[in-house]
Amino acid sequence: MLRITKVCIVLLGVVLAGWGAFGETSKPSTPGAKVGGTLTIGVSQDFKDMDPRIANSVYDSYVIASVFDRLVELDPYTLEPRPFVAKSWEVLSEDRVRFYLNEGIKFHNGDELTAEDVAFTFNWMANPANNSPNFTELVWLEQAVVVNKYTVDIVTKADYAPWAPGFATESQAIVPMKYVLEVGDAAFNQFPIGSGPYKFVEWRQGDRIILERNENYWLVYPNLDRVVYRVIPELSVMMLELEAGGIDIADNMPAQDVERFRANPKVEVLQVPSLSYFYVFFNMSRPPSSDIRYRKAVYMSVDMDAAVFSIFQNLTGVRAYGCIPPRLWASDVKYLKNNIALQYDPEEAARLIAELKAEGVIPPGYKTTIYCPLDPRRTQLATIIATGLREVGLDADVQPLAWGPYLDLVYRSEADPLAESLDQGILGWSGGPDPHDFIYYMFHSDNAVVGSADNLSFYMNPLVDWLLLKAATTLDQHLREWLYTEAQRIIYGDYVHIPGYHYIETRGVRTSVQGYNIDPLGNQYLCTPFVNVWIDPTR
Amino acid sequence: MFAYTVRRLAQMVVVLFGLTILIFTMLKAMPGDPAKVMAGLGARPETIAAIRLKLGLDEPIPVQYWKFVTGLLNGQLQAMTFHKSVWAVIIERLPATVELGVFALIIALLVSIPAGILSAVYRNSPLDYAVTTIALIGISVPVFWLALMLMLVFGVILKVLPVSGRGDTLWGWSFLTLDGLRHLVIPAVALASVQMALNARLTRASMLEVMRQEYVKSARAKGLREWVVMGRHAFRNAMLPVVTNVGIQVGALFAGAVLTETTTAWPGIGRLMVESIARLDQAVVFGLTLFMGTCFMVSYLVVDLLYAYIDPRITYD
Repeated sequence: MLRITKVCIVLLGVVLAGWGAFGETSKPSTPGAKVGGTLTIGVSQDFKDMDPRIANSVYDSYVIASVFDRLVELDPYTLEPRPFVAKSWEVLSEDRVRFYLNEGIKFHNGDELTAEDVAFTFNWMANPANNSPNFTELVWLEQAVVVNKYTVDIVTKADYAPWAPGFATESQAIVPMKYVLEVGDAAFNQFPIGSGPYKFVEWRQGDRIILERNENYWLVYPNLDRVVYRVIPELSVMMLELEAGGIDIADNMPAQDVERFRANPKVEVLQVPSLSYFYVFFNMSRPPSSDIRYRKAVYMSVDMDAAVFSIFQNLTGVRAYGCIPPRLWASDVKYLKNNIALQYDPEEAARLIAELKAEGVIPPGYKTTIYCPLDPRRTQLATIIATGLREVGLDADVQPLAWGPYLDLVYRSEADPLAESLDQGILGWSGGPDPHDFIYYMFHSDNAVVGSADNLSFYMNPLVDWLLLKAATTLDQHLREWLYTEAQRIIYGDYVHIPGYHYIETRGVRTSVQGYNIDPLGNQYLCTPFVNVWIDPTR
Repeated sequence: MFAYTVRRLAQMVVVLFGLTILIFTMLKAMPGDPAKVMAGLGARPETIAAIRLKLGLDEPIPVQYWKFVTGLLNGQLQAMTFHKSVWAVIIERLPATVELGVFALIIALLVSIPAGILSAVYRNSPLDYAVTTIALIGISVPVFWLALMLMLVFGVILKVLPVSGRGDTLWGWSFLTLDGLRHLVIPAVALASVQMALNARLTRASMLEVMRQEYVKSARAKGLREWVVMGRHAFRNAMLPVVTNVGIQVGALFAGAVLTETTTAWPGIGRLMVESIARLDQAVVFGLTLFMGTCFMVSYLVVDLLYAYIDPRITYD
């Protein structure tokens, strides 16, 4: 499906070889750091899986990030891949990249991490027979081939420009082949062994996961004795724990608590724009939402600026204008805001609704429903939209649904009777450090599949399809930016979505915690080539 | 008594059988496909289909039902998302619920019964007004709010107790460690509050009722001391409705306290139920519901048997 020119592959090789040469791994020092202590992190949901090959929850990834190492690591500032387990790499041909691994890396059971482990991890995930929820992240992988003990070749089905950052995500953490085959997948999922800075000690279901320092960590001496991840489902309780010092880091902080904690000298509020996008999608498969006048009318009936402000008070979320978060290149926010986004205009919205009613596109007595998941923010946004629609002459109500039924609805499962009444709904998307992770999945017709759609609008535009594929298989950054910009302008000019908001990742951290930064992908990295968190008991 | 107990146990089997059909039907009628939730956003249709196949969700409904029931009986029913058997998942969480329930019950009984008796004995006194007012507040205040207030006062302001969670454990039990015991206080008191209030009011009303009976007057007329009259003649007879209420509460306690466990981050089976419903793990929801139903039925049976012990006039044979 995806093909790329030989020129692009050569460019890929140059770029990657350059990274390899630039970023030889070395033990970073943390001047003044104190060794010891227990770091307790509060997480809002229970853990599910500890095997990185199948774990797909952000909460699982917190633990996995400290137990396992990855082939490459994302630079937290530039979001570019840097060497980690792989000390360097080179492109050998159009479809083959060779990774050279650091020698002497040991798993927690003493086995050495070798090319066999890397190949086993990638091949297992890419094998559809294993039903890994992370399969789509490696859909481009043909095979990982062991060359020798410390060299592995990644062979791709097709050339694929943005693949390298994907290696850095926690789902591609390297697992010990011998140990996994010995104990089996289920046992490994309950008690994982990696090569990371902290070793898995205990998983008390529903309560906590405990890690302890890997004394023989190859990269650097991890500063913390122990790391405890505590499950605290109620955010208000998590805030009390943070205040009382029961936890050192709260993985989430509601907008209403931000100002209070900013005034607390013992707690620091850390924020970073997340790579997320929350939106209203329209069903393009049936009237009235297939009519652009309807979509524009809904858009103009909502004062989105006021809605986003009322939900986040400008503290934990910002208004979105396109699907690519402002932090990423090709986001094109200024253009989309000034030229595409529709202003709140209830008169014009009422005129369009009346016109659609007169033409019979909206049948007499028609009532539309704003569907959303059971999430207070999205329910609030849905309520604001429904209120706006009623004011412009269209009867509307809100229907929040539990996650399972909601997926059935938005995926258009044939068995779901609600699918017959789907005009619009609200959903969110989190992606990686490349625009492809957002725009391709939500707008390419390949992803408009009944039963598992990511293109929830079922938007099918051959020009957009071409632009997105071209961008995905091109290495020239400027060209890619232009392609994504053009695609986004077409999509948002068709008003397929009403962009809602980008979430600002907000965490509360006790001032005794030093060297901690929020990862832009929302993870919790405690000891990597870039960070080595420590605790200052005097603060 | 023996024949009655056997008859009741037989009835329980029939009720449980009916319960399996009812729960299974409701689970299958629930919207949402567990395979899609497990596969996550962005999953390919092939992946979803493979997960459905693995979970047996494509099999005829009666076959699925049979597998659930037999699997639960022989311990082989696998949880859909926890990667272990349903029983293993429940048993792992059960100690947390049991110790929370037992401690809450002990606190409730230790406070409510003496309070109810004193309130009845000194009725219309300031003590009586205080007990009835506190009991009214105890019934009216939502458990989650009370738990939050206890956390704020004792955990954040006074810093004498941990805010939430279960703390250290020994052999799976937190009450065996000092840290665990300290963690147990706030959830147990919060959970006990409603029971305390109900039991205190019930004890008071029941004592007042009994204290008007002729045999109490006779006991007093015989010249018995007041504490003997109250303790030996009034209290025992007043306990019948209280025991009924406590018996029902025991069933509810072992069935898990969803609100208390969620608010205080207590990893018991009440929270497990909430998590399993959110994950659409039908196997765990099925197992848990049956387990909870069994707890209720057993506690009701024990209460009925206790009647005969407390009141010799009641016989079952």
